[in-house]
Order: sequence, then C-alpha cells, then structure tokens
Amino acid sequence: MSVLSQSPSAPNLIKDRQSKLTTLHSWIITVDHKKLGLMYCLTALVFFVIAGFEAMMIRWQLFIPENDIIVTQVYNEFMTMHGTTMVFFVGMPMLTGFATYLIPLMVGARDMAFPRLNALGFWFTFFSGILLYSSFFMAPALYASGAAPDFGWFAYAPLTAKTFDRGHTVDYWIFALCISGFGTMIAGTNIITTTLCMRCKGMKLSKMPLFVWIMLTDAVLMVVGIPPLTAAQIMLLMDRELGAHFFDVNAGGSAIFWQHLFWFFGHPEVYILILPAFAIASEVIPVFSRKVIFGYPLMVAATVGIAFIALGVWVHHMFAVGLSPAINAIFSGTTFLISIPTGIKIFTWMATMYGGRLKFDTPMLFLTAFLGLFTVGGLTGITLAAVPADWQLHDTYYVVGHFHYVLFGGLIFAVFGGMYYWYPKVTGRLMSEKLGKWNFWIFFIAFNLTFFPMHISGLLGMPRRIYTYEAGHGWELWNILASIGAFMQMIAVALFVWNAIVSLKRGKVAGPDPWDAWTLEWATTSPPPEYNFEEIPTVRSRRPLWDLKHPEDPDWKYE
Amino acid sequence: MITLVADIIQAEALGTLGATLAGGATYWMPEQASEVAPKIDWLFEFINVICYIFFGAILILTVGFSIAYRRRKRVHQDKSATHHTALEVTWTIVPLLIVIVMFYMGMTGYMYLDTVPENAYEVRVNGQVWSWTFQHPNGAVEGNQVTLPMDRPVQFIMTSSDVLHAVFIPAFRVKNDVVPGRYRTLWFTATKPGEYQLMCAEYCGKGHSDMLARVFVLPEEEFQIEIARLAQEYMDLPTEALGYYAADKLYPRCASCHTVNGDPGTGPSFKGLWERTQAGEQKFTNGATLSQLQKQGDGFYDPAMGGVQNYLRESILYPQKLINEGYGPVMPSFKGQLKERQVDALIMMIRELETYFEPDGSFKPQPENTTPAEGAAGTEEATTPKQDGGSPEA
Repeated sequence: MSVLSQSPSAPNLIKDRQSKLTTLHSWIITVDHKKLGLMYCLTALVFFVIAGFEAMMIRWQLFIPENDIIVTQVYNEFMTMHGTTMVFFVGMPMLTGFATYLIPLMVGARDMAFPRLNALGFWFTFFSGILLYSSFFMAPALYASGAAPDFGWFAYAPLTAKTFDRGHTVDYWIFALCISGFGTMIAGTNIITTTLCMRCKGMKLSKMPLFVWIMLTDAVLMVVGIPPLTAAQIMLLMDRELGAHFFDVNAGGSAIFWQHLFWFFGHPEVYILILPAFAIASEVIPVFSRKVIFGYPLMVAATVGIAFIALGVWVHHMFAVGLSPAINAIFSGTTFLISIPTGIKIFTWMATMYGGRLKFDTPMLFLTAFLGLFTVGGLTGITLAAVPADWQLHDTYYVVGHFHYVLFGGLIFAVFGGMYYWYPKVTGRLMSEKLGKWNFWIFFIAFNLTFFPMHISGLLGMPRRIYTYEAGHGWELWNILASIGAFMQMIAVALFVWNAIVSLKRGKVAGPDPWDAWTLEWATTSPPPEYNFEEIPTVRSRRPLWDLKHPEDPDWKYE
Repeated sequence: MITLVADIIQAEALGTLGATLAGGATYWMPEQASEVAPKIDWLFEFINVICYIFFGAILILTVGFSIAYRRRKRVHQDKSATHHTALEVTWTIVPLLIVIVMFYMGMTGYMYLDTVPENAYEVRVNGQVWSWTFQHPNGAVEGNQVTLPMDRPVQFIMTSSDVLHAVFIPAFRVKNDVVPGRYRTLWFTATKPGEYQLMCAEYCGKGHSDMLARVFVLPEEEFQIEIARLAQEYMDLPTEALGYYAADKLYPRCASCHTVNGDPGTGPSFKGLWERTQAGEQKFTNGATLSQLQKQGDGFYDPAMGGVQNYLRESILYPQKLINEGYGPVMPSFKGQLKERQVDALIMMIRELETYFEPDGSFKPQPENTTPAEGAAGTEEATTPKQDGGSPEA
C-alpha cells in the first residue's frame, strides 16, 4: 500500500531530473552575454579558491625558518601555479565576465556584437584552465609522472629548456596559455566591436559610462598585449620540441630575448588587470557619493594615456639584467611618467567624494579601501622606478608586497565591491549587508596583515620565490604575520561565498534599481530578461536614469 | 611550532628590533656595509618621504571626506562641480615636476653604480645550479664563499654556466642578474670588515633558496695574507688530508645535487658511487652501460687500468659526455674551475666516503693524532690518488 502511495511521485523525479538536465544544457549551449558573463565570473571564483589554497600552502611553508611542510618540488609547483592561475584564470576571466555581462546592458544593446564568438571565448578560457590543472595528474616530469609547471609564472629561459625542465610540464603550460590567449583575444575583439558599434541611440562616445570607456581601452590592450606572449610561447615550443634555438644560449640564442617578449606582454597585462578595477571604481564611487564623476574628460584621457604608456614600460622588470644605460633611462622615465595619469585617477575619485553624501554600503566600503590600498601599491611602484633603488629591491619580497597591493588590494578589492554592487542586478536579491560588512573588515585587516610585512622583509633582503630561509636575518616576525594574515583572508573569502549562496534564496528582493543608480543596466528588471530591454532606450546624457527620475533638472542641460 | 613562534616574536620584539635601531642599520634596511649603501638608502628615503606625504594626504582626505560627508538620510539633490580646470591642471603638473626630480636623482645614482672605477679588484663570478664559484686574479678559487678587501673597489665579472641567477648582497645594496652567454659587471667598495651573505635573487629551480655564499671582508693586509694562502691552500696539503679538504671545501658545491647519504637528488648520490663504477653498473641515456664500455676501446674505463678514476674525472670535467639514465643533462663542466689536484681530492673523497662523512651526511673532521707532519708527503706523489695506476691525462 505504502509503495503504491509513493508511486505518483516517481514521474516528478524524472521530470525534475529532466529539468535539471535542460537547465544544464541551456547553460552549455547559451550565447546569452549575461549567462556567459556569469560563467566567466564563476570560473574565476573557482580558480580564485584554488589559487588561494596554493597561496595558503606557500604561506604555511614560509611560516617559520627552515620549515618543510611541503617538499621543494611541490612548493615550486604551487608558487608557479598560484601566479599563473591568478593572472590568467582569475584576473582575466573575472574582468571579461564583468565586461561581458555589463557592457551590452550599459550601452543599451540586446547582446554582444558576436554572441557565438563570445561563447567560444568562454569555453576556450574554461578548458585551458582545466588543461593547465590536468598537468598535476597527467604531465610526465623528472621526479614523478604527475607534476605541474615549476618554473615560475614568468617562465624565464633557459630554465624552461628541455635540458633543465624535462618531461612536459612546460608544454602543458604553453598550450594552456595559448588557448586562454585565444579566448582573451576573442573577448577583446568582441568588447571593442560592441562598444563601437552597438551603442543605443544618443550614446555618443562622450556619453558612454566610464566603465565602458575603460573596458574599451582595456580590450585594446588585450588585443595588442596577448600576441607577443603567444608568439614567444610558440618559439619556446619550437625550441623544446622541434630543435630550434631562439632561447638556447649554447647555440647562439638569447635568454634575454624571452624576457623582452614576455614583459612586452607582461606589463600591459598588469594594466589589463588593473583597468577594470578603475572601471568599477568609476561606477560605484559616484553612485554612493550621490555625485557625478568629477572631471569625466580628464578621466577618459588618463585612461587612454595609461594604455599608451603601458606599452612602453616593460623593461622596468629587467633593470637588473644589465641593459644599456640609454634603455634603462628611457624605461625608468616612462615608468615615472605612468604614475601621472594614475595619480589623476586617484585625485578624481577623491574629488568625486568631496562634498558628496556618502553612504557606506559594502560596495562603497570595498571601493574606498581600494582607493587607499591601490595608492600604497602605486607609491611603492614609484620607489621601484628609480633604478638604484630597484636594484636593491628587485626580486625581493618588497616587490611581492608592491604588486599584491596593486593587484589584490586594487583589482580583487574592486572586484569584490563590484560583485556586491551588481549581485542584485544579476540575481534579483541583495546580499546581506551584515555579512558583507564582516566580510569587508576581516578581509581589509587580513589583507594588510599579509602584505604589509612583506615590504619590510623585502627591505631586509628576503629574495622572492625561495622555498625556505635561515633564521637570523630579521625576517621571521614578518613572515609569521604574513602567514597569519593569509589564513584570516581565507575566512573572509569563505564569508563571501556563504553570503553569496545564502542571499540567493534569502536576500532582500532588490527591484530594478536598489542603489538609485544612473546607468542603463538599472533601467531593466533584475535579473534582466534575455532580450535586456523591451524597447531599446534613447539617451541624452551620461546619466540617463537621472534624467528619467528628475525631468525637472536633467543632466543633458549641463553636459 | 607554537613555542618557536612565540620565541621568535619575543626575540624580535626585544632583540633584533633593538639591535636594528641601535646598530648601523637605517630604518628598515639591513646594515650598511658598502660605500654606496648610504647613497642608495638616501635615495630610497627621499622618494619614500614624498610618498608618505602623498599617502598621508590621500588617507586624511579620504577618511575626512568619509566622515564629513557621511549621508544620514537618503537624499537626491546632488548638483555640484563636475570639473575644475585649475585643480585638474595642478594635480597633473605638480606630481609631474616631482617625478622629474626623482628621475634625475635615480639616473645620477644609476650612472654612478654603472661606472666601474679603473683600479677595481676583479673577481670572476660563475653561477651554476646551485652554487657559486669565485676566481681571484692570483688564481685562488673559492666555492660558495669569497674573500674581499676592505676600502677598495671590487668588481664582479659575472656569468652563468646554465640558467639565470642573480648576485644579491643586501648589506652592500647591490644586485645584478647573472646571465648565461653574457658577461655582466657589478662593483662596490666594502667598508666594514665582517661576514655577509650573498644570495641568489633570480629563481633558478629546485635549489634556488640554497644558493647562498658567504662574503668575507678583510682589511688590506689580512686580505693579502689570506688570498695568498687560498691560492696555495690545497697544494701544501699532504695526500692524507686531501680527502678531508675535498669534503670540507669542495663538496658543498656538489651538495645541492649529489648527496652522500644515498638520498635521491638532482644527480646520482655519491654513496656507493665508487663501487657502482667499479662494477660498471651505470646505465646511460645513450643506451650504453658502463660495464660494456669497460670492455671496449683502449681500456679508458677499465677498472684494472684506473678506469674508475678516469670515469669520475671525466664526469667532473666533461659531464655532458655520459648522462646517467633517469637524470637530466644539467651538470655544468668544472673544467677550469677545479685544478687537477682538486679533482684528485674529490675522487679520493668519493672513494672513501665513510672516512670523511658522518652517516647523516655531515662533515667528519680529520682526527688530530693521525695528522702527519706538515709537508711529509711530496706533492709529486699526491697528484695520483692512492695506487691503481693510470694517471689521468691532462
């Protein structure tokens, strides 16, 4: 009897499973920019957790002198994979995700210019990440049959030559990054085309939201910056597998040639990663200050200026190599110069806050912190631009501290702020403010505890990428603090993940425009329908929603 | 671990920090032990102070705005300045002028550091995975340590036999990459006698963090005596002491790849190497085995004709000729870096490993009572280790 009474539920189970399969199927075949943007961001978050785990192991190993929690080989693999993952599989997909999700909404389009290409770009990125990580289980190497790349994310020749790195971990790295590079090129092309060709009526270039402007510049840098890396990697592959000698010193090649190619990609890459943080700041700070962004034209000029100069600073990674004085002088000069447009941006955000009516919800907290932390990273960068100071600090933990303030305090803090800001648009519900504030404060304190001491251990001469160190250099305390901070950051990230999951069901319903914002993405429902806008909007100013809400005092009268 | 951490924190709080402030170290930098160190610290300090001023201003304004303009209730009125040309020009021009000054100071410092004085004492530095070799003008060679004169410019002429390395001596404020296939110079004038550490600052693989060397700075007269002694060091040793010399002074350069206790490493362990070679057990990547080679040719590898010594000597001077199966062709050649007598010393050491090393691989010093009288053994005999004949050809 009981069996019979249960039987009617059986078809439901099948139906449920079918609907789950259908959902999964719809995500896999999707060409919708919102779904793809979300998938980019989720992929980046998963890799963020993996790279975070690797960082934890590094910090655990460096906790005390002469520690041996993990063996050298594994340490070097984690160090390499942490860097590679954070740059190529956290930073890049995260910013592409934001751009893919938001740009069509902000310019009033129904999708990206090339929706199918967009999907191709995502799947390239996704599978190249899996390919890279499969090396842990599959790549044959000297010491074991499963080994990840262990030569540093910069892969300096000739350490990557067949002589010094036997097996195929280098080849896994080359193929994975080449494929992810194709994905990035595709995304870059798509962003450029979308912003240039898909803007709604009335949105001249001078009326584009700053987010879109900065992302457009960013996409240009992607298209220019990635090919040198791909070319260098193909050359390396030829060296390794076809007997070429591009980087083989013993056969007349040059080890420094690799460095030029790598940093000609690598330095624009740093700006590719940090510009999206500027983009997010330029949206969030005005909204929570209740003011128009200060000096919009100068801001656009500074962005484009940064992109130009970013293509001409790469040798500051190579001051210690021993190039000619003229080369070092030019690149020291450009490196100092790039601080000017960057400084303009910081002053502009501050001027936007000046006289505003600031409301410190979680997104604004993250972006205010971004302002301070990025400033620290920028200023330590100025110290490094002076060649003699750089010679002392190059390849020490001072540099590790410096670029974590730029990329973690800069990019990751802005991205977290951005996730809190646009979460209601994506899901229709607000994230918990209470958890968000806990998340922020723990993250902020732990971040500084981790990365500030690195400046000091670096000044005291602690080299980068070392597996362990002897006691007695005065580095011990700073390493202990950094490791404690790193573990605290793990708590903050866990809080974020918990908040994001819980708020999905229990968050406050957001409505279309919870922050009283001004750009077009807030003009449609949350989450937006597949076609984004029932009717393609027409804009007359940089803040179309302001005009809509205040017909008596619209912006277009002033611009 | 917790007690160790507590100890470190206590030691830091009471000891190192106090010593740092009281001693020669400025600010957070390590002790200044070269003529250029105060110059670099001053430049760093100058840029830093300007950065502090900017950071302080930005911090105070941001926090100030955050408090002063905190929103108490939801308001929508918000018309205020959207730009201010004079202000925007100011915050572009002023930082520009400041960085021009910084650039100029950085460049003058750089040109000073890049111009080697003519009378500099030249030391040739070779980096290899994962050890350092220093060669003095008088022929003395030091491994993983270098003795330098005080108050006299010293020039390192550096290159690498394999991958990238970097010479970094924090107390002297100097660092430069060591690049294969390329000479690179670096100079400094040490100003304080003492022992300093030289580290590798460019990631070079598995042994990167162990690639350290000690730098000894001596006053001129002591330096002259020491450098003369170093040039003759192994020449005056009796045959019986050669193995101890090799184990103490030469083996540390091998230790990053070759263990003496049988643990696996980047290269084959020295433990049992003599016996393996005698039996011809080695298999090579070209498919041959040593026992086959021992029976071939003119008897070069034949143990009865000094083939063991020949094989070991060849492995040290021409390591790429025969690569053991399971290992990579990574060993650099020591030709020119080791004198024949030092090669002999190493072969002696490998032959009787237990005499010179404890089971855990640490050095076992020569017992006092067995030391023969100074100069008892002639250098002529000592060039060939023990008997077995077959003096290795030069």
